[in-house]
Amino acid sequence: MTFSFILRRIGYGLLLMLGVVVLNFLLIRLAPGDPAVVIAGEMGGATQEMLDQIRADYGLDKPVLVQLGIYITNIAQFDLGESFFFNQPVAKLIGQRIGPTILLVITAQILSILIGVFLGVIAARKPNGVLSGFVSIFATIGYAVPVFWTGIMLVILFASVLPIFPVEGMQSVRLRDAGPLTKTLDVLHHLVLPAFTLAIIYLAQYARLSRASMMDVLGSDYIRTARAKGASEKSVLFKHALRNAALPILTVAGLQFGNLISGALLVETVFNWPGMGRLAFDSILRRDYPTVLGVLFFAASMVVVANILTDLSYRWADPRLRGRS
Amino acid sequence: MKDPTIRAAIGGEPPAKPQFYVAQSPGREAWRMFVRNRTAVFGLVLLVIILALTLYGSLIYGGDAFDIVWAPHERPLATPEFPMGTDYLGRDIVAGMLKGGGPTMAVGAAAALITMVIGITLGALSGYYGGWVDNLLMRFTEFFQVLPALLFAMVLVTLFSPSLWTIAFAIGVVSWPQTARLTRAEFLKIKELEYVTAARAIGAKNKRIIWKVILPNAAPPLIVSATLTIGVAILFEAGLSFLGLGDPNVMSWGLMIGANRDYILDAWWPVTFPGLAIFLTVLAVSLIGDGLNDAFNPKLRER
Amino acid sequence: MSIFVRLMGAAAIATASMAATPVFAEGGTLVIASNQVPRHLNGGVQSGIATAVPSTQIFASPLRYDENWEPQPYLAESWETAADGLSVTLNLVKNATFHDGKPITSEDVAFSIMTIKENHPFKSMFAPVEAIETPDAHTAVIKLSQPHPALLLALSPALAPIMPKHIYDDGQDIKSHPANSAPVGSGPFKLSEFTPGEAVVMKKNPNFFIEGRPKLDEIIVRIIKDPSAVLIAMENGEADIYPFMAGSQEIKRLEKVDSLVITDQGYAAVGPLNWLAFNTKSEKLSDVRVRQAIAYATDREFITKALHRGVSTPQRGPIIESSPFFDDTIEPYDVDLDKANALMAEAGFADGMDLTIDFIPGPKEQQQSLAEYLKSQLKKIGINVTVRAAPDFPTWAGRISSYDFELTMDVVFNWGDPVIGVHRTYLSSNIVPGVIWSNTQQYSNARVDELLTQAAVELDQAKRKELYSEFQQIVAQDLPIYWINATPYHTAYSTKIKNPPVGIWGTMHPMDMVEIDN
Repeated sequence: MTFSFILRRIGYGLLLMLGVVVLNFLLIRLAPGDPAVVIAGEMGGATQEMLDQIRADYGLDKPVLVQLGIYITNIAQFDLGESFFFNQPVAKLIGQRIGPTILLVITAQILSILIGVFLGVIAARKPNGVLSGFVSIFATIGYAVPVFWTGIMLVILFASVLPIFPVEGMQSVRLRDAGPLTKTLDVLHHLVLPAFTLAIIYLAQYARLSRASMMDVLGSDYIRTARAKGASEKSVLFKHALRNAALPILTVAGLQFGNLISGALLVETVFNWPGMGRLAFDSILRRDYPTVLGVLFFAASMVVVANILTDLSYRWADPRLRGRS
Repeated sequence: MKDPTIRAAIGGEPPAKPQFYVAQSPGREAWRMFVRNRTAVFGLVLLVIILALTLYGSLIYGGDAFDIVWAPHERPLATPEFPMGTDYLGRDIVAGMLKGGGPTMAVGAAAALITMVIGITLGALSGYYGGWVDNLLMRFTEFFQVLPALLFAMVLVTLFSPSLWTIAFAIGVVSWPQTARLTRAEFLKIKELEYVTAARAIGAKNKRIIWKVILPNAAPPLIVSATLTIGVAILFEAGLSFLGLGDPNVMSWGLMIGANRDYILDAWWPVTFPGLAIFLTVLAVSLIGDGLNDAFNPKLRER
Repeated sequence: MSIFVRLMGAAAIATASMAATPVFAEGGTLVIASNQVPRHLNGGVQSGIATAVPSTQIFASPLRYDENWEPQPYLAESWETAADGLSVTLNLVKNATFHDGKPITSEDVAFSIMTIKENHPFKSMFAPVEAIETPDAHTAVIKLSQPHPALLLALSPALAPIMPKHIYDDGQDIKSHPANSAPVGSGPFKLSEFTPGEAVVMKKNPNFFIEGRPKLDEIIVRIIKDPSAVLIAMENGEADIYPFMAGSQEIKRLEKVDSLVITDQGYAAVGPLNWLAFNTKSEKLSDVRVRQAIAYATDREFITKALHRGVSTPQRGPIIESSPFFDDTIEPYDVDLDKANALMAEAGFADGMDLTIDFIPGPKEQQQSLAEYLKSQLKKIGINVTVRAAPDFPTWAGRISSYDFELTMDVVFNWGDPVIGVHRTYLSSNIVPGVIWSNTQQYSNARVDELLTQAAVELDQAKRKELYSEFQQIVAQDLPIYWINATPYHTAYSTKIKNPPVGIWGTMHPMDMVEIDN
């Protein structure tokens, strides 16, 4: 895994990003609808002169390719433009939202992997047992239920019928001035329902995947040798088998990252979670194109980075691949 | 081995069990395995019931799901004519369920079709020809893969005004990379097998090889993938409608959930019933897909 | 609120209160629940309630108003209108300062009013202002090109925030100026934090120019778009006050909560009219008899009593009934299907016609419900209505402002004086394509133009009323719009609140007298 490989991978990733920017920018600019009219509507009405002034202010009167050029040059300097709606730098808006989304996504990913793999491993021990059947059913159901529906049901159940959890948001507004411990606990309290909702879909997948993978590995010579040598069952399962079964799980985890962001969007909308997904959704409805572009660019770059990392860790984990460049 | 020309060329005798070669018609063999699988049959029956109800709802059941027929938020079973109650405008939920299924599944199927067509075409070309074609197409695929699917679909739908067609198109556009990858992997695998190299040796044209030799043998995993894609597409459409980006002038299950979401504290049933419908449909489709998967790969099933 | 959070909160408060300051009778935090998203916090260049609520806490204005529509001193301790009505002199208080310590002078007043005139969407507010003279630091003389009786109301906190010239006058376009999101004002509260789309946190201004105010320590506007979430937040005390609540189910539900008071007071100056607008240039609707037929077919009583469960009131004119200018002799178009059918036949549409109806996406009960109701009701006079839903506000606004519609539901505010919020809909000079909430019905009546222009400059209240009466009579006959009901805005507030903001401007007014018993 040479330095030049990493460099090439990164360079290729950058090229991808450029393509993403160009595609989305052109798509948005060439679609029907006039952003100036939208902005005027958001202001509460305007006159003809104001409409023209808005066009000049936001650079909408220049030819499309010129606008694209300006946009790309700005992105290279980390300037994602200004939101039509809030008149604030898009980078700042995204910056405020990135933390909550990452918190949500990572928590859900960890939850789903931990619980899913655990369930799958246990089920793999007795492939025809009750637990295995349960895992199968749960896997299929978890996959088929619309995530927003689960979220809504959970909110009603655990925030209204049984008021155990907060109904929306990431923090209690009254605890804003509280100490760091209180605030952390408060955030965690708010995090439970959304993270769990998001985790359910992927949990099922990991349970199934790890069960299949483990069953595959458990039947191999390597494991029989370990058992013959007298290793404890727990050690066999978790130390020997899991390590080898980890590879496909890792691959899937990396690939799923993009889907997680999409799922996060729905969960953020249901739970009013102040993340990037909700920002994107609100911005799309408001035709706040700079913000939409900014979020698309940002989300795509997160996926590219995740892919590169997965690629690298994949090669690192599987010694057979390490030799190649 | 389906093509008599090739069989004749090799010498008339079917070779002894190459990996994907089955003595009988693969379809019939798979079907026999399928019907022995109880969950798969359950899924099939469920889907047939849902389709039947949907057809009934779309073609025979009178009235319009958008008609206001009663007072708003009538509870289920409170009035005999409206066993599922009414929604926030006073529209019949039963009508919505029966008539909403058609658009939901039509969009799902159309989106899956678009996904399969694009995905299989690009994957096949990529896997078969290899080289720079493969490289180029794979870069193109990866490009679409890094775009967050739901986000990009939302942008497409909003830009071009939500309608059943734009939604199906948007879902198709963001879903094909996975199918392309799968097709490519299959083609790469099958390309190396004996009967393909033999076919090429006797001078069969590329197009013929792709269509008549490789594709039929790649069919099983692709069919499974298609079934699962339909399920994903239905969930996707439901998600878009829920967010308010569905076709607002066509009743679909996702639209019912999204429209009634504001009132859920006072009326849970307009949201719960369509949600259940979506769940059951996707469940049926994925059970069928799993069944097909097991049926096509009997060896794996024994695990 | 869950026990868990209560415990945490109690722990936090205990720790905090051990720290220093003694607890006064004043103080406390007021949490306002809102489902509107403000773009920024400067109400001088942006209309709408989302901006006005925080803007009126952060910025002060020359005048403020009491519950009886009487102007009260604010930044201007006194004012005189010249006899000819062509100038208004404001005498400013001497001790007012901006949040950054700089004094407020007549320069700031002059700058602000001219800025609002140029940038605010409501052109008619300050259109006749020619110049503002500043003979000394605390006197501002507004020079008008014609008498402008609406001027005093336009100097309300919601419409005339006084901005610091030393910050805004730097050449940048005020509409997108960064200071709009980090405003330095002179109001009872300073901005502490503005998280776009989430919350606006404002803290007490210790140097507020009125002694002993504000009473509250902090006001937080918490933005929650999901109506169910807002209701739960109000029920368990996470929010203290929920203004602009218009859903009948919400109102009925919160009325049952003992710890909350529900009132419909606080919206007199807003004057929100919910109406059906006609594209008068469409060949199907250009005949006034067709429009009148539709009016006669619509049953306002059913809409307000049944569809809205009695929480809204019917309206029948361009000016809201609670306004002193309302003329109650105008034709109400009470439901009469026979008359409606006769009119359709007279106009030559005995066979009926097809029409599409649009509506603003958003509060369903006011807009979509009525569109659906009209669909089933107008069938009875032979009109086949197709409801065309728009996926979002920009789509709808784009269609209406480019006249791509036949019927549409809409809600438009009067904003106190007819000059500010009423004229824009009926003046033929305000037919501007591409601009929403202009005269999108393309209605043109020379006498109406005359009347409105005269009423704008008529200083004699009685004569003004007459002019507006005639105006109402004419448009009630011409019917470019059919007015249906007033949006039933209510405020739900906790019983812990004293002096709740229920004046004519409601929460769009400085809440320096509001107290809460946290």
